[in-house]
Amino acid sequence: MITASLLRRRSRMLIALLSIGIGATILSGLVTIAYDVPRQMGAQFRSYGANMILLPAGDTVLTEGTLEKALEVIPEENIAGASPYRYVRLDMPSRQQSFTAAGTDFSQVVKTSPYFSVEGDYPSNPREILIGKEIADTIGAKIGSSIQLSYKGSASDDGNGAADWTAGAHLMGSAEGFNEAVLTVELTLDEDARIASIDVDASSQTEEIGALVGTDREYLDQFIGQTLPVSADALSGATISSQAVVNAVNSARSGENAQALELTGIYNVTGILSTGGEEEAYIFMSLTDLSKLTGEEAPDGSGSVLDVAELSVFADVNELEAYSEDIKRENPEINPRLVKRVAHSEASVLGKLQALVILVTVVVLLLTMICVSTTMMAVVSERRREIGLRKALGASDRSIRTEFLGEGLFLGGLGGLMGVALGFGFAQFVSVHVFGSAIRFQPLLLPVTVVVSMLIAAVSCQLPIKRAVAIDPAIVLKGE
Amino acid sequence: MALLELKNVSKIYGELKALDNVNIKVEKGEWVAIMGPSGSGKSTMMNIIGCMDKPSLGEVLLDGVDISKEPQKRLTDIRRDKIGLIFQQFHMVTYLTAVENIMVSQYYHSMPDEEEALQALERVGLRERARHLPSQLSGGEQQRVCVARALINHPELILADEPTGNLDETNENIVLDLFSQLHNEGTTLIVVTHDPEVAEAAQRTIVLEHGRVAREVINENFGKNR
Ligand SMILES: Nc1ncnc2c1ncn2[C@@H]1O[C@H](COP(=O)(O)OP(=O)(O)OP(=O)(O)O)[C@@H](O)[C@H]1O
Ligand SMILES: [Mg+2]
Repeated sequence: MITASLLRRRSRMLIALLSIGIGATILSGLVTIAYDVPRQMGAQFRSYGANMILLPAGDTVLTEGTLEKALEVIPEENIAGASPYRYVRLDMPSRQQSFTAAGTDFSQVVKTSPYFSVEGDYPSNPREILIGKEIADTIGAKIGSSIQLSYKGSASDDGNGAADWTAGAHLMGSAEGFNEAVLTVELTLDEDARIASIDVDASSQTEEIGALVGTDREYLDQFIGQTLPVSADALSGATISSQAVVNAVNSARSGENAQALELTGIYNVTGILSTGGEEEAYIFMSLTDLSKLTGEEAPDGSGSVLDVAELSVFADVNELEAYSEDIKRENPEINPRLVKRVAHSEASVLGKLQALVILVTVVVLLLTMICVSTTMMAVVSERRREIGLRKALGASDRSIRTEFLGEGLFLGGLGGLMGVALGFGFAQFVSVHVFGSAIRFQPLLLPVTVVVSMLIAAVSCQLPIKRAVAIDPAIVLKGE
Repeated sequence: MALLELKNVSKIYGELKALDNVNIKVEKGEWVAIMGPSGSGKSTMMNIIGCMDKPSLGEVLLDGVDISKEPQKRLTDIRRDKIGLIFQQFHMVTYLTAVENIMVSQYYHSMPDEEEALQALERVGLRERARHLPSQLSGGEQQRVCVARALINHPELILADEPTGNLDETNENIVLDLFSQLHNEGTTLIVVTHDPEVAEAAQRTIVLEHGRVAREVINENFGKNR
């Protein structure tokens, strides 16, 4: 009978249904968004870069291996990216200048520093590098340029070439020759530390060139009697690989590892980086390339040595702090730090956003309640006579109350269902247009919205019901 | 024992005595007409008898129960169980069909029973109009539906306040015939009217003036015409 009575009084009920429906729509929409906002914004915020950095604690060494272990603390799906960094000074012999090179993992850099603006491409193959705009401007390099870089090591480094260039030393060196093939040299120094003999192993070069360099004694003999480092200008009769031979000679040092080192290499510029920050003065290369050049390996074999790792984590400040504690506890050799500026501004923006959503939700709920209450009030006064009649026919206060409450709950339920569907559409629309990503449907929202709408309807009906119950059948039936 | 007895009943609105020390007795099965000029207190009295109002003074005994002392909730129960009401303005639920209007009364009394409701409509000659909304029925037809609604729960007492006030001669006669049938079945009827013809259909007429019983007239010709 309720549905029949509702159906025949559609216009009024439609207004009530619509107001509940719209209220429920906005409610479920906003709740969906509020629920999804941290996730949405989290993804947005991650474009501001890393929010946690890992440093070696005290005298310990941070390596790829320890970084991997530290990351185990954070659930994988919460890690947006983790970029390892090793900073080393490299020389550019062609310009007799040195620059800071950063060895990293480009697949992670894209994630931890999405604001990096690269003209060209990120390096994807060995021997490819990304150079900062400042360097590109200084040295006039373009995408596709080849740059020679060499590593001298630090002053205290035992592998320092100069330290090995002593009288009577037997030295080995290597460098990249033509076609990326490695060329090695063997030197002996006389008592004045001048080159006494030189042998070039160019077997890995193509046959003609290898033959040229390896057998061109006339060319090689020019090295005899020279002091290290050798300047290429002092040589004549150069072949294609002559610079490579000079590089190999200058990289020569003693020791068993000398042969494994590539102290110099030629790199291809694939991209130029603009950030507006200090990164523009850096050269970026893969960690693998860098450690090949420097020969640096963690003593325990756990990969390359790192100076710092930048982490971008989907988490709020509290979660970040918890992760940081966990990392510190499980990995005493690591010193995690939050990038406070990023983490805190995220938290405050999120807090404000959620407060706003809650405020809007409350206001919408109140408006819905006022609207439903007003509509029901109008319904009651419209149906005054009818209510009086029903009472005269024997309706108890209770049955009047039940009838209106039933109508209210029915409308609330129906409006709630409407709201769930429309609300999801609304949230999806907002999400796609504001955050640029789709949201998932929260199944729990269905019962919650329906129950909340029914509750709102029930509460809104209280005053109208009170009015309805107060109607005196005698007064209503008396007059016209 | 009388079905209804008003003992020294007064209804006072401020200075105005709408009813002033009224004493009336109505026996079970009796058909009584109430007449009187406008404002003489007829409706006031009907409301009190119909448990929709309480007297300021006096007792109203309905089936031996003093309804002037009963709480509101009990009054609703008594009205529902014992009384059928018919009004001058018919008063139907506008968005319900004829049969549904009757079922509303059943619903509050016990259980809606469509078959029984249709039989009641049959009795007032409107079975084929069962699915019509009030707006699709004439005034006379609406009042007949209201009669059917009043008798559906088999009340002991039917109270009708100007039931023919808005009806033409033909429909007035149909309603009076229905009353006559109900009377023959033993239902007690109290009918307020301005129309002497309607009053003459009753066994006895009580005339009110200024809230007092002015006189009572026994209808000598009762039952002769019908
Ligand atoms: N609720 C009320 N408050 C104040 N005065 C009232 C109230 N109800 C009725 N009255 C007054 O009581 C008197 C009796 O009214 P009542 O409705 O009983 O007259 P009536 O005999 O039914 O008249 P009519 O034939 O016009 O229907 C009138 O003077 C009316 O104004
Ligand atoms: Mg009246």
